[in-house]
Amino acid sequence: MSALISLENITKTYVTGESEFHALKGVDFQLQSGEMVAIMGSSGSGKSTLMNIMGFLDHCTTGRYCFSGRDVSRLKDDELAAIRNQKVGFVFQSFFLLPRLNALQNVMLPLFYRGEEESSAKLKALNILEKVGVRDFITHKPNQLSGGQQQRVAIARALVGNPEVIFADEPTGSLDSKTSHDVMQLLIDLNQQEQRTIVIITHDKEISFMCPRVVTMKDGCVA
Amino acid sequence: MREKGGDVNDSEDMFLKLTAHIKEALLNLSSSKLRSALALLGILVGTASVVAMVSGGQLATNEALKQFKTLGTDLLAVSINDVPNDDQTSHSEESLTLQQVMAVTQTEGQIRDVAPYTQLYNPIQYNGHTLNGAVLGVTENFAKIVHVNVVRGRFISSLDRYSPFCVVGHQLYEQMKAISFVDPLGKQIQVGSDFFTIVGVADAWPDNSFVYANIDSAILVPILASTALSKYAEINNFIVQLVPNANIDMITHHLQQAVQHYVPNKRLYVRSAKELITSMGKQSKILTVFLGLIGSISLIVGGIGVMNIMLVSVVERRREIGIRLAVGARRVDIRSLFLIEAVMLSLVGGISGVVVGIVIEYIIAFLWHWEFMWFFWPPVIGFSVSVAIGIFFGFYPAHQASQLDPIEALRSD
Repeated sequence: MSALISLENITKTYVTGESEFHALKGVDFQLQSGEMVAIMGSSGSGKSTLMNIMGFLDHCTTGRYCFSGRDVSRLKDDELAAIRNQKVGFVFQSFFLLPRLNALQNVMLPLFYRGEEESSAKLKALNILEKVGVRDFITHKPNQLSGGQQQRVAIARALVGNPEVIFADEPTGSLDSKTSHDVMQLLIDLNQQEQRTIVIITHDKEISFMCPRVVTMKDGCVA
Repeated sequence: MREKGGDVNDSEDMFLKLTAHIKEALLNLSSSKLRSALALLGILVGTASVVAMVSGGQLATNEALKQFKTLGTDLLAVSINDVPNDDQTSHSEESLTLQQVMAVTQTEGQIRDVAPYTQLYNPIQYNGHTLNGAVLGVTENFAKIVHVNVVRGRFISSLDRYSPFCVVGHQLYEQMKAISFVDPLGKQIQVGSDFFTIVGVADAWPDNSFVYANIDSAILVPILASTALSKYAEINNFIVQLVPNANIDMITHHLQQAVQHYVPNKRLYVRSAKELITSMGKQSKILTVFLGLIGSISLIVGGIGVMNIMLVSVVERRREIGIRLAVGARRVDIRSLFLIEAVMLSLVGGISGVVVGIVIEYIIAFLWHWEFMWFFWPPVIGFSVSVAIGIFFGFYPAHQASQLDPIEALRSD
């Protein structure tokens, strides 16, 4: 079985004026479908850059990126947008919900960009919100929700498009330890019960201990 | 279902997205009400000024043309003037007689009627008071051709010839009534050293630039009597009524020849109501374009206001743009989002601007006592230009928004 994500010798260089900064210096990485992996590293280690490239938010400078066996290293903006919409879900440290939309509308957003009909999108969103345990708050705006509830809504938004992989960038970074644990448990359940592929970016050792596989980044390389 | 969707689904997608975008745009605009209201106000003022100015200009033109329309377009105003000459001493004393005028004009098959008139500025006295007014020597058909209505008594008749009878204009009549406190009809009025009996009173006469005299403040006497009053009473003007679709150029030429025959030292000036109306029409077109341009300038200023607000909005909503990109919005989606917001602003501003503009037009018509009219084009033009301005000035901010890098946009706060 071929890997869901396969990175070969990925580099990323930022050029600012005359100075160059090598964020990634030849990363090789394989991710199987159904895996749950924590990418560990201190700040500046390149873990966020790696997630951005794997999540189709950014291009790599050199190297080869295969997703489901397809070379996606040199795709155009609109093709990347389509992949982000269909194959990937994001969970961010500070939730990144749209403040003007309520919980339900936030979860429906990826389906809207897919061009899905409102009624079926609503049905899917309600199901997911039920599953992550915030069904009672669907008409609440993000600022009326607690951090844990907001992150659950954000996870629902990541799940609603039925993606092949979920990227969680410091998903518990803004939460207290109790809610952190609950949110992590939710992600673990999603991985174990539904075989969801989950990549967690974190610098927190405790979080990484909860994941079956841990990859540590250091100075732009996989250590 | 972008991957599976065929052509049919694509157009459906577009429609669904458009309505959703419009809903979103309204939501976003209403969440920053004051700012949206200000941008909207700019477009509103611009559209209103285009609509009000162009419609107001049209009203003014219609009002100016009205006087000709009541007179009729079948008139020629002919005046006979001295030829401007270096040799000032050769002022010709001769002028046309009434018979000659009749002879000149009756030979032509295309002329229906002619009304010659003389003008004098002799002092007029009534009950010992001096009145300001002209003395016009006229013929019987003058009333019919230039539409003088006699409200009381009778008009000058061709039987009057040298008889000292006169008809007084509306304004003079009111002055006389104020002086004597009795009805002036039947009383006598002194012109120079002669007395005339007032036999009729003319109704208020709309001023127009076709007859060189204000009948409201004049007394009308028989034309022969006027020539007897003073040697300066010359028949220098006459108004010709033409048959329908007459050849104006040919008649002008004929009149010139005929008049030249009698009084070779004079020159003929002919103005036709038709020509005046066309030239006024041209002037009014220039006026309309000019007013429209002034209005458009304020509309452009309004457009810049929209652009300013949209640019601020793009900067403020960078994170939102980043989030939308992360969940799979394409660049074109982001562009439509902001473009539709700008267009919604101008759409609402344009509609309310048209309404306000028509209200202003109504107020103008009311204040100047003009007849209010609905015009089709000013609102249509005002509205479509405002929407075009919204698209034009909304495009740049929307494009800026769509070109943001997702990571940069997500990082900003």
